[in-house]
Parts: sequence; C-alpha cells; structure tokens
Amino acid sequence: MNATAHMPGQPAVSLVIGSGSVKCAAAIGVVKALAEEGIAIERVVGCSAGAIFAAVVALGYDAKQCMEVTSRLWTKELTAKRNTMGMLSALAPRLFGFRADSFGLRDDRPKDRLLHQFFGDRRIEDTQIPLHITATDFADGELVDLHHGSIADAIRASVALPFAFAPVRIDGKLLVDGYLADPLPVSVAIKHGARVIIAVGFESPYQERIGSAGRFAFQLSAIMSNNLLKSRFSFHSIAHHSEVIAIIPEFSQRIRLFDTEKVPYIVEEGEKCTRAQMPYLRELLAAEQAAAGTVSGRQ
Amino acid sequence: MNISISQQDPVTLVAISGSVDSLSAEKLTEAFTGELNAGRVKLVADFSAVSYTSSAGLRSLLGAVKDSRRLGGDLRIAAVQPDVLRVLSLSGFTSIIKIYDDVAAAAASFGTAA
Repeated sequence: MNATAHMPGQPAVSLVIGSGSVKCAAAIGVVKALAEEGIAIERVVGCSAGAIFAAVVALGYDAKQCMEVTSRLWTKELTAKRNTMGMLSALAPRLFGFRADSFGLRDDRPKDRLLHQFFGDRRIEDTQIPLHITATDFADGELVDLHHGSIADAIRASVALPFAFAPVRIDGKLLVDGYLADPLPVSVAIKHGARVIIAVGFESPYQERIGSAGRFAFQLSAIMSNNLLKSRFSFHSIAHHSEVIAIIPEFSQRIRLFDTEKVPYIVEEGEKCTRAQMPYLRELLAAEQAAAGTVSGRQ
Repeated sequence: MNISISQQDPVTLVAISGSVDSLSAEKLTEAFTGELNAGRVKLVADFSAVSYTSSAGLRSLLGAVKDSRRLGGDLRIAAVQPDVLRVLSLSGFTSIIKIYDDVAAAAASFGTAA
C-alpha cells in the first residue's frame, strides 16, 4: 500500500525521516501502517539516508517497491572504491593540492551513478507529496531545505558523509550531509505549519571495538550527532505547539551499515511502532479535524 | 489517561496511566498545578503505567519541573517503561529530570541530598 497524498478533509500528518543508514527503511513500515489506516501524508522531509526513503514515499511508491529500491540503492558498491587522490591530498596537501569541494576518501561516482540511474531527471517539485530534503551548508553549518531541483542531486548532497564523500554544490552552495545540521529535522515540517508530525529517528550506533582511525572517527561522529539529535529534538518538542510523535524503533538485532537482508525486519519494526501509536493518532487527528471545522464554521 | 493522586508525606504521588500526549497533557498540567498551588511541591510521578509520551506530554512535564523547582520542590519520575524512556532520552529529559527505578526510591530521594 502506498502513501496517500493529502486530500482536503482527510486526516494527514507530516512525516520526517531522520538519518540512520539502512535503519531508515523503518519508514517504509511507518508509511504502510499510515496508509492502511487511511491517514495521508501532507509533507515528507528526509535527511541523509532518510532522504532516499522520503523521496520514494513522495513519489508514491508502495512498500514493496520501496523495499526493492532499498536493495538496489543501498549496496556495498556505494563505498567500495577508494578515492586515491582524496587520500593523497589529505596526507600531502602541499604536494597534491587540497580542495574542500572535492575532498572525500571514497569514490562517490558509483553512488552518484546509482542515484541518477534510479531517480533520473525527476524533480522535487514534481512529487505527489511535497518533498523536502535537508543538507548542511558547508560554509556556515546552517540547515539547507532543498525543496526544488533534481531529486538525485539533493540526495547526493544529503548523504555526503564528511571525509567519505565529497560535498555537493547546489545553487552556489557547497553542501554536506544533512545530519550535521540536524539528524531529525522536524523544524522543516514545523516551519511549513505542520500540526501533527511523525518523526522517525535513530541514534547513531556506538562502536563495539575501536581498532582503527576510521572507527575512532565514527565513534566521535556518533557522539556528536547523538548529542545534536537530542538537543535539536528537545528544543523543537518544547518550543513549538506542533505535536511531535516520535517513532524510535528498538532493534533487538544489530543492524550494520549494509545489512539489506534485514530490511523486512526493519520495516516490520517501523510498522509495529506506528501501530502502537495508532489509537492515539486516530483520536488526535479526529480532534484536529473537529477543531478545524469549528474554526472554519466561525469564519 | 488516568491520574490518581495520593499523599505519602512529605511527597505527593501522582500515578499516571495511559498516554501522556496532546489529548491528555492539559489534564496532567492541571493536576500538577493543583498540587503546586496547594503547596505540595515535592512530586513523584509514577510512570509505571504510562505507555507513551509525545511532545505535548514533554511540555507538560517540563512546566511542572520548572514550577516545582521554583517553589523549592521538584518533580521526580519513577518506573519509566523502556518505550517512554527512549523518548525522554531522545529529548534530553533524562539529563534534567531525576528518574528512579521505582516509586519508593523516588519518594525516598526527597529525604536525602539526592
């Protein structure tokens, strides 16, 4: 069952899918549960890997198609090739030159090719459900809300993991991974007037063993992004009157970066978490609709 | 959501069951405010039967924490279920609110320097 675009009078929520690598596939289960209840999605926001799922949801793919997309796009091929020049420029910048706009230790061409093959020339402004993809402005760290232009390019920017992939230039701005500005950007939905927000978020996993500089860097990154996630989420939960319903799937199985064979399990957990909120969500949306009816009746 | 209030001097026990959310937060805020206005500022919220809390629930809790501390007391939470604890942790509440394994420990904490 695919996500339903919002029709006037129909209960609807805004969906925000945070960063979280393959775990973001839980959003497929969230969308499935919402669709089966007849709850529409009025806007979808995606950050980092969440941007891939946000895009397919906005394009109207059903759960089965979304799972196929995950298997096609989320492969080891994404990070398999080293970028030798990136490595050399990091080690000997005077000798090889260092450019911030092209620095990355992994060759990002396979990733870009996959994204362009899949999304082609599709544009954000043409999706069935309004779509927002977030990235981070490398110049000042500000969150950038990409709401028009090429879907593939916006996702490229949103998943431009620092050190691994080179930043992406869009509209004159050099952009890096959206999680650096906000791993769960509910602010974008709030800014567009969302009343009820389903926020699907994940904490970055901490390393079990740190035996390399890479894992050391991943650990630091997880510490920083988790602290950022908490501070941003708490601010937006408290400072605004939108109702933010957090869906935080708890995975009993360890999910590694490319565990695509666990996608059905991940989807199931997302669906389970959403179903647990359904009685409340139904009641809340009915109350919202009644309140909206009262206001429009007065006008 | 159901709320039951009882006195365990010097502590007021606020036992909550169900979901602390947009539809029920006002009722919870009123319950906390009623106790604080009556001078009962040492509050323990029994969360053992709370199944969920949303942003509206968080705002209600934060308001009660701020008001009780301003009046010289505190709101402490007991027996938080794992799903609710994840939301409290994600929203940073575990760093500003004292959480205890059970009601007895939360109530006892008011008699200590904790």
